[in-house]
Amino acid sequence: MISHRDNNTQRIAALDERAEALKLKRGMGIADARAMHPSIDVVEADPEADRRLLEGLADWCDRYTPLVAIDAEDGLFLDVTGCTHLFGGERAMQDEILTRFFQQGFDVRAGLASTPGAAWAAARFHGDRIVAGGEEEALLSPLPLSALRIAPETRASLESVGLRTAGAVMAAPRAPLARRFGATLLLRLDQALGRLDEAVSPRLPVAPLSVERHLAEPVMLTDDIERLVSRLAIALKTDLERRGEGARTLALLLFRIDGAVSRIAVGTSRPMREPRLIQRLFHERLTALEQNIDAGFGFDLVRLSVLSVAAFDLAQGDLTGDTADDDADIALFADRVRARLGEAAVLKPVVVESHLPERAVKTVPFAEAPQRRAPAAGRAAPPRTAPPMTVYPPERPVRLFRSPEPIEVPATEIPEGPPMNFRWRRALYRVARAEGPERIAAEWWRQLPGEEEAPTRDYYRIEDSEGRRYWLYRQGLYNTAPQAAPPRWFMHGVFA
Amino acid sequence: MLLEVNVMAISAVARETVFALRRQIAKIEGTLPERLQAPAGSAPDDIAKSDMTIVRRGLAVASVDAFLHTGIERFDAALGGGLPKAALSEIHGLETRDAGAVAGFALSLVSLILREKQGLPILWVGTAEIFHEAGLPYARGLHALFGIEPEQLLFSEAPKLLDALWIAEEAARMTAFAAVILEIRGSPRLLDLTATRRLHARARNAGRPLLLLRQAGEADPTAAPVRLIVSAAPSASRETVAGPLAGSIGRPAFKVDIGKSRTALPGQFTLEWNPDEHAFAERTENSVAVVPASGGGTDPAPASGAVLAFPALASPASGDQPSRQQHPAHRSPRRAG
Repeated sequence: MISHRDNNTQRIAALDERAEALKLKRGMGIADARAMHPSIDVVEADPEADRRLLEGLADWCDRYTPLVAIDAEDGLFLDVTGCTHLFGGERAMQDEILTRFFQQGFDVRAGLASTPGAAWAAARFHGDRIVAGGEEEALLSPLPLSALRIAPETRASLESVGLRTAGAVMAAPRAPLARRFGATLLLRLDQALGRLDEAVSPRLPVAPLSVERHLAEPVMLTDDIERLVSRLAIALKTDLERRGEGARTLALLLFRIDGAVSRIAVGTSRPMREPRLIQRLFHERLTALEQNIDAGFGFDLVRLSVLSVAAFDLAQGDLTGDTADDDADIALFADRVRARLGEAAVLKPVVVESHLPERAVKTVPFAEAPQRRAPAAGRAAPPRTAPPMTVYPPERPVRLFRSPEPIEVPATEIPEGPPMNFRWRRALYRVARAEGPERIAAEWWRQLPGEEEAPTRDYYRIEDSEGRRYWLYRQGLYNTAPQAAPPRWFMHGVFA
Repeated sequence: MLLEVNVMAISAVARETVFALRRQIAKIEGTLPERLQAPAGSAPDDIAKSDMTIVRRGLAVASVDAFLHTGIERFDAALGGGLPKAALSEIHGLETRDAGAVAGFALSLVSLILREKQGLPILWVGTAEIFHEAGLPYARGLHALFGIEPEQLLFSEAPKLLDALWIAEEAARMTAFAAVILEIRGSPRLLDLTATRRLHARARNAGRPLLLLRQAGEADPTAAPVRLIVSAAPSASRETVAGPLAGSIGRPAFKVDIGKSRTALPGQFTLEWNPDEHAFAERTENSVAVVPASGGGTDPAPASGAVLAFPALASPASGDQPSRQQHPAHRSPRRAG
């Protein structure tokens, strides 16, 4: 028996057959139930876990159709349009689904109809029924009002005027019904009867392409899975070629025999269709996930889906050209690293127009960075744009700290001058020579209205007594206001 | 026996004879066969003219093309022709604060490599730890100083050393990168002789250099043929029309010690990088005097004199901070007293 807390009272949320035989009912207080039968076993409801279980089941149902939607707390919609023949017809498919769920230990009702509303009603009020097209009205007429998926208040008020079955509602004139009970009632009715289309939104985007293989004997070893991946990728290649596309995101779905589904996705930085490369990417991903994938008793269905595609340019390599090849090599390398170590494993700097050093270079993951293109023949490479006003570009360090590190500066020679020595990471450095300052003001155009203006920075190149070169800055100025905080010093980078 | 297939005037049999003779001479002279070809003091023209240099135990030959010439004749000669191009090379910094100089020296080598391999990208692999401690590569600085375009640079931050090694190994076998830089901190046990041997083998097969930067690392056993110890050297002043500008900070300068090399004699070099011409220049003792006493209060002249007087590794740091080697000496009297 499952209890849940409702209005500060523990009530029965769900109960099994034996508890029902004891005349316990849903919604009854736990205290009352215990008074009747002190020996009952009560478990606290856990909606989160229920949800997870339902999602797991939805994942498992992916084997039947890519369009699986979750319906409220306890239902799943499977859009099996065009899928039934793969399982030997509607009846055979429904039987298989029910058998498989039963073997997994679930008590499942199923209904199959041409509209979601009718299927819903068939599942809930008949248990195992297939409604042929056009029979929806006959199915619904004898059923109580709750078969129409309407709010309990609407149902109560309908019952209060004597409309107790769906058939009665269907027979009643429509205009007064809509006026009195709202448009939802008629909408639900029309949807159930197929007069209006109802869209079931699948929980996962439907892959444009997928190939799968049902296995008579479950596989457990990573090597076997990889071999299957390359076989599936070969099948995928012809489809991709026909469409003139290459895969950008691929997902491998491993359906474990006991219902758990592992979903493994890899991204590529350029469209890909070569089975060998796809297999290598999955090899890295599977190696990285080795600990996290529990093969259990094995996987009996392996599916390879292409989640997103991009146009595949058929580039003809020039006879001497190694460059195109090199780029492809690097893209593959980056993809493999990404498959194993995550999105940000290979980074690429992108120069941005900004005066602030930390903003002037943005690091982006390799896949998102603009692709380097070899200048095409006949078209000259774009001229390198130098900043027009700067004769000598300002000196910039070779390494920049991710965030400037505060340093202690006991004294400067002149108030706005470079420090004489400074303490950084608890070590004292004596300044031998200094160049600067280079003043970099905050970018006022990024400032939000009402925000206080960020203090300017005065950057100094410093060489310490041992010849190491640093890039320091002072944030703020001395004596701008008597009560203002004194300027602070930061270490921002090191020079070669 | 390893014979490079190379078009040479000498036939294989004749070469064998030369090797045998060379070994005999070396035995008589009590030196390595490699040094016979390129003794440290010999005229560098001889090396350039002869089209072969001994690289492995005097048994195999490689053309001069197998080496990266730094342009400093004395340095190249000391290394027996230059830095091997298709190999793992270790570049050490004694302390993490030297990371700027170590990275700068490695990047200047990369810049020399890029002269021949125009436009190829480079990959810089580091652990999250070192990038946090020593800073991330800054594309603008790299472009200005070493001519490495931002789109040429790829860098990879690995959460763990094992991942960094994996990335470096995968990258080292590719020919699409002009060079791979692997940067780590300290002396982790994972990067032992076996690991470096794997890296070296892959770099050798791919024919690409793999630079292993070890910040604050010990001189562990390594398969790399060359280990250089790099620290910062005080830079010279900026040159102006009116002579050196006092108090200014000029071109980057590095102090390079040869820590390990099959052929080299121990030596120390002060190299200066010319960012305009992308070339090294060696600074001799005379030019050190150009560095003027600054207004900062310290006099750099005695410091550099002291550096010259001591062997490379044992040189005490001239700053206020005791270097790592000095710590035990500081502590022991305190404990005794």
